[in-house]
Amino acid sequence: MSKLKLGGVSKAYGATMALRRGDLEVEAGEVHVLIGSNGSGKSTLCKIAAGSVRPDAGEVSIDGQPVRISGPQAARSLGIGIFYQELSLAAHRTVAENIFLPDLPVTAGLFVDRAALSGRAARYTALFDGVAGDGLSTDAVVENLRADQRQLVEIMKALATEAPILIFDEPTSALDRAQVDRFFDILRDLKGQGRAMIFISHRMDEIFAIGDRVTVMRDGETVATARIADTDQAEVVRHMVGEAGQGAQAAAPAPVAEGETVLAVRGISGVGYSGVSFEVRKGEILGFGGLHGQGQSRVLRAIFGAHPVASGEILLHGTRLAARGPREAIRSGLAYVSGDRGRDGVIHGRPILENVIPIHALRQRLHLANPAALRQKAQAAVEALRTKFAGFSHPINSLSGGNQQKIVIARWLIDRPDVLLLDDPTKGIDLSAKADLFALIRRLAAEGLGIVLYSSEDAELLANADRILVFNGGRVTRELTGEARTRFNLTQAAYEAA
Amino acid sequence: MAAMMTGSTGLKRWVERYPFLPALLILIVLLALNGFYQPRSVSMAGITGLTKTYLALMLLAVAQTYVVYAGDIDLSAGAILSLVNVVIVVLMQHWGGGALSVFGAIGVGLLVGLACGLINGVVVAALRLQAIVATFATSIFFTGLALYVLPVAGTPAPAAFWRTYGGRFLDIPFVFYAVVVLALLLRLLVRMRLSLQLLAVGDDAQRAFQSGLAVTAIRMKGYALCGLFAALAAFCVTGDTASGDPLVGGKMTLFSVAAVVLGGSALAGGYGTVVGSVFGALIIGLINSLVYFVGTPSEWQNLLQGLAILVALMAGVIVGRRARA
Repeated sequence: MSKLKLGGVSKAYGATMALRRGDLEVEAGEVHVLIGSNGSGKSTLCKIAAGSVRPDAGEVSIDGQPVRISGPQAARSLGIGIFYQELSLAAHRTVAENIFLPDLPVTAGLFVDRAALSGRAARYTALFDGVAGDGLSTDAVVENLRADQRQLVEIMKALATEAPILIFDEPTSALDRAQVDRFFDILRDLKGQGRAMIFISHRMDEIFAIGDRVTVMRDGETVATARIADTDQAEVVRHMVGEAGQGAQAAAPAPVAEGETVLAVRGISGVGYSGVSFEVRKGEILGFGGLHGQGQSRVLRAIFGAHPVASGEILLHGTRLAARGPREAIRSGLAYVSGDRGRDGVIHGRPILENVIPIHALRQRLHLANPAALRQKAQAAVEALRTKFAGFSHPINSLSGGNQQKIVIARWLIDRPDVLLLDDPTKGIDLSAKADLFALIRRLAAEGLGIVLYSSEDAELLANADRILVFNGGRVTRELTGEARTRFNLTQAAYEAA
Repeated sequence: MAAMMTGSTGLKRWVERYPFLPALLILIVLLALNGFYQPRSVSMAGITGLTKTYLALMLLAVAQTYVVYAGDIDLSAGAILSLVNVVIVVLMQHWGGGALSVFGAIGVGLLVGLACGLINGVVVAALRLQAIVATFATSIFFTGLALYVLPVAGTPAPAAFWRTYGGRFLDIPFVFYAVVVLALLLRLLVRMRLSLQLLAVGDDAQRAFQSGLAVTAIRMKGYALCGLFAALAAFCVTGDTASGDPLVGGKMTLFSVAAVVLGGSALAGGYGTVVGSVFGALIIGLINSLVYFVGTPSEWQNLLQGLAILVALMAGVIVGRRARA
């Protein structure tokens, strides 16, 4: 008998079917991997189990008993805890307050028991001692934590439910390897205690490292379930993609001709990075590698004028770029795409058209919009990316993560920039959207753009970057070119002491 | 620890922990300016008078803070104050003005405040109407009720009531006892689970919901608390003016919002302190008296008050930003 069983669950948002037919059975004492492209319905399925989304149809049962999960509170009392992909933390509250927000220890039924709160929270922060980095203490304010630390706090919050059923919706996307290893140790321990766990990740190696069984979803439907031991990556990908293996694997990059230098960075330093120098030629894709959070994003944001530069200089076409902010950087021909599209890219709740044109409007200093003309320009930009969408007037939030990111990238294509800065652009995006994105990036390089690509996935860097700079502790510690661009070298350089 | 206290990171930690520090700084500066232009204003009698006049605004600012915590706003706070003011004055007169009638009226006043707060809570949190417009509408509704209860201002409050409020016990003015009780009450309320839940809802209501908080109930409780504190503010107004006035609180609503912001709370919710709002109310009080003490001609007083509040607001923002950078 399954610990948790979801049968034929569906959910529609207006005309969009988020989930057509979700089936999932999780046993006690297993890590059940849920995999599928973005928009395949994994998160919706998890949210239904956690009570934060109400299904249109279908059945849920726990220990064989049919249950009705009316809300997050009901899910908790039924013994279901969840890690939310987009996190559920209150930014201005402390770590301890966040971990126990759903179930604050009280005295006299009214007052928060501060001593019990920090004491109990310390048990969960201790789980990540040594890998959490500086500043993660029970009384730290979440707003001041790094992205990976916030993700750890959300993990602690899920663990603190001590629920027999735990759902982890992409808990590792911002974590470094040491943190992931520690998290997996904890999962194995919980498995030993007989907990039932659902684990979502886009990293294939993680799935095979921790999973017992895998369920694959595609286009809102459950397509297959298998024991991890009986399957392999190729088979899982085949299920995800559908008709036999459309190549998500990119070919090795073509050697670039010696182009002129478009972007030269000379010894820039600032908060979180120091002494960074490099040059990008026309048509070149320069990769930034290394463990997560070693200054790669900050350097990209600094060049774009969104993060302060204390010293050093940035030259665009040989002239000094003094961008005091992103607005000037954009007008000088820089483009920046963040992986955190929710924060940096998407204009929430606005139509797709409005999400495509802002850069064009800024560069052309448009003050009055002519929707028909803009629509034509937007159409061309969006088509280059094979974006799936119903119409320009639909809100951007109706699209899946991958398609949202395509729209965000499309906004830079109406007026061609000279340099494209990509800050982990494929975070949380499905494989086919990734393939589309990288095809576009290579095409843009071939057309003469200088591209800087930071990716947290080694495979993406190795397949697409012509040169790779490995970051460690805010500095460039290694440059990998030509034959040296191997996974071994990349891993070794990333783990070298800074 | 010593290392953390030094430099900007130490200051950052302090302001993060006590968001009202910039407000306290402005308050001290204003107090010094008041003392400079009118030495008697910082005497015992001067401070007593200031507290007596602005205790009501302090309480109304506290009331407003609880809804602002959750990212809501209550534009009817002043109207609730007016309604409670006229209800207790009329009741005390009706019941004869003795000690018993005073306590009875205070009890009814609290219930009226609570009821008004719950109506706001239902309208905003349960029916999900926009807080600004919905409480603007209920403010008109409450004012209408107040005008029904007492159509014309002027019914006097019984002497037992205002003599107590303006009087002394053991040579210490009554209002100082009230301030001490308020301080103790706020200390308790800060530790209350509801405060934390309101702040979490104000931080991000969707996330709070996903964390399993009963968002609607929590927002309603915030409005209920707001109604209760508005009733307490009404008692102070009644003690200070010694009469009933169905329109007395109307002007105070936006002053209470200003006090909350001056106190360092975020109108978007999720961040702030009640103590800061009390300081904010005192800042407004001190600005008003300072404008008077520097000898501003009466026709220019409003203009100067407005400018001074803007300056105080800017100073708070600048100090806060410096500290957090």
